[in-house]
Amino acid sequence: MQPLAELNRDAAPAPRGMIEVSGLNHAYATRQGPVQALENVALTVGQGRFTVIVGPSGCGKSSLLMMLAGLRAASAGQILCAGRPITAPDPDRVGVVFQEANLFPWLTALDNVAFPLTLRRAPKAERQARARAMLELVGLGDAATRYPHELSGGMKQRVSIARGLVQDPPVLLLDEPFAALDEQTRMAMGEELLRIWAATRKTVVFVTHSLTEAVYLADEVLVMSARPGRIIDRMPVPLPRPRSYEMMASAEFGRLRDRIWQQIKAPAR
Amino acid sequence: MSPGRIRALIILAVLVLWEALPRSGLVPVLFLPPLSLTLAVLAADWPTFAAALGVTLSEVAVALVFAVGGGLLTGALVGGLAGPRRLLLPVFSSLYAVPLVVLYPVMTAWFGIGAESKIAFASVYGFFPTMLATAAGIRTIDPQLLLTARSMGATPAQRLLLVILPAAIPTVLSGLRLGGALVIVGVVVAEMLIASAGIGYLVTFARTVLDSPRVFAGVLLVLLIAIGFDLAMRWVERRCALWSTAGRPQSAPAAAVPT
Amino acid sequence: MLVLGRLALLAGFCALWEALPRVGLADPELLPPFSTVLATLGELLARPALLADLGTTTLELLVAVALALPLGTLLGLALGENERLARIFDPLVFFLFSIPKSIFLPLFILTMGIGFWQKVAFGVFSTLFIVLMSAAAAVRSVRPDHVFTARAFGASRAQIAWRVYLPSMLPILLEGFRLAVIFGFTAVLLAEMYASRTGMGHQIASWGENFMLQRLFAGVLLLSVVAIAMNEAIRGIEARCSHWRS
Repeated sequence: MQPLAELNRDAAPAPRGMIEVSGLNHAYATRQGPVQALENVALTVGQGRFTVIVGPSGCGKSSLLMMLAGLRAASAGQILCAGRPITAPDPDRVGVVFQEANLFPWLTALDNVAFPLTLRRAPKAERQARARAMLELVGLGDAATRYPHELSGGMKQRVSIARGLVQDPPVLLLDEPFAALDEQTRMAMGEELLRIWAATRKTVVFVTHSLTEAVYLADEVLVMSARPGRIIDRMPVPLPRPRSYEMMASAEFGRLRDRIWQQIKAPAR
Repeated sequence: MSPGRIRALIILAVLVLWEALPRSGLVPVLFLPPLSLTLAVLAADWPTFAAALGVTLSEVAVALVFAVGGGLLTGALVGGLAGPRRLLLPVFSSLYAVPLVVLYPVMTAWFGIGAESKIAFASVYGFFPTMLATAAGIRTIDPQLLLTARSMGATPAQRLLLVILPAAIPTVLSGLRLGGALVIVGVVVAEMLIASAGIGYLVTFARTVLDSPRVFAGVLLVLLIAIGFDLAMRWVERRCALWSTAGRPQSAPAAAVPT
Repeated sequence: MLVLGRLALLAGFCALWEALPRVGLADPELLPPFSTVLATLGELLARPALLADLGTTTLELLVAVALALPLGTLLGLALGENERLARIFDPLVFFLFSIPKSIFLPLFILTMGIGFWQKVAFGVFSTLFIVLMSAAAAVRSVRPDHVFTARAFGASRAQIAWRVYLPSMLPILLEGFRLAVIFGFTAVLLAEMYASRTGMGHQIASWGENFMLQRLFAGVLLLSVVAIAMNEAIRGIEARCSHWRS
């Protein structure tokens, strides 16, 4: 596995991992009439950057991520990845990690990770070698033959991350991947994700509703408003890397967290 | 004493009582022939029993194809497609209440008293529960898994082959187990009612001449076949579904009772 | 919309039944047209003899269910509440639950003859384990945290039984009851068809043997409607008692 070497290959016009979204609007019909889910969303994520999208539930952040993954079509607007539009799932450019790990229960951890390569009909030896390397990367080298029901929640999510990375896409999308985990596992997984990110230098778009998680992980936090979903703040996080648990206690961390909170806190209902 | 040992003792007590009660004269042999006598009859008359069994099992095999094949196919269609599911599933679960046994005279009127009427009846008998179980099972496939496969660029054919089919295997197997049990019962009951061959016919004939040991031997044989089939299917299910947790919820009792 | 669709389906079924023998696609001897069968059913229902047969079958079913229900529920409650009993008997009960009951019918005739109580006994035997399993499952479905909550607010044992156990258990108990009625009906009819001088099952069997297909179909139609009506009625009660379940 040599993602680092591959990164330097295409320097030309749009880097492999660059995401550009412009004029994205999404409306859908309900019995009560049309609902504007996303309104004029524009964003750019540079190659190798870690961007977190945060917002109240129902703000359309997960929809936005599904559109970046090519799993859902927007009513209007454009999504470019590496300079080319995303209209359908393209695992060569984009890997996805879902909130529930969504592992196939009838496949072992190794076969789950290898699944995208199976879809590509890659030779078996290559599939196994790639998948094994990815499991090593996420620290699950010795769990290869286990079935999902034999894995803990955190381990499942690691397998899911390994699966998202197995085709070495330049972009990794994560949809509230740690939301179903308990607090300690969640912290550990955040740290783990940063380590993996540092090792692979993927472009990451991470959706969450946890303010702490957002500040802890991100280069830049995009804050979304409640419906209609708009990006109301683009907040760079100037905290140094590698991030550490101690930083969360710093005044700077608190200030950044508070800046998000002030914008998304809803009047008590 | 461990629960298992108590259980073994209870079973042993039942077997001993089965032998002792009729031998001691507390229960007439007509009501309950001793276990040893029953087994002796089964052994002595084995050629007769085996021939009857052959007839019954060949009917079961044909009916199984119709009942389970039809049940799985219809169940997958009804359960998998939203439109037919909403329209038909309530209709089918209402029809489930119909005592199908009253259809058997219709079958004999239509197809005579040979193998055809047994096969037709057992096919109908096994079809509905298999179909309902399959429809319910297909719906338990997690749509998130299909979304995940799509995010990896899986084609529709790949989604069917690599996601829907493996996810449906437990359903298909338990459908086969359930349908098979009902088909066995269906054929035997049909033979008991009107027939000229088969194990059910043998039992009824023995009953009309009050030959209790032969009745018990035949019933025991059918029971062993039903249990054997069930155990074999459970073994296959375990082998084919190593990935599913041991405590996977069973289908509702509604669908699981062969009567 | 869906209801209309289902009505259309029913109408289509009846129309097909009517049309097939009329246009010659089916032998009217083997499949009498729907209207003919309805007319025959009307005639049959006017006969006291048939009403007596229907009454016999209904009574056998009612008595069987009336016996199986309390007996099965009590045994099920014992298994559901007593862990030691459950550990010993659960596998046995499950085994008895899952073996086919119909094939035991000849044994009932050997011991009890072909009278009323033999059919009741066979009905009880066919339904007891369904009730038992449902009752045990119902007790186990009561969530301990609900019981703790009630206790924390000072509920007495009777109050816990009445206000927590019963409403939690009712949906599953009712489903068991419904299944018992369905399977009991089949059992009683089978017993009548197999060896009897009375009851709807006996009539159906003899109409079939004597090739009286108009009456046979009328009987099948009648029993199907009765079975569906009973099933839907209990389902209606189930729905009313379990509206809080999602």
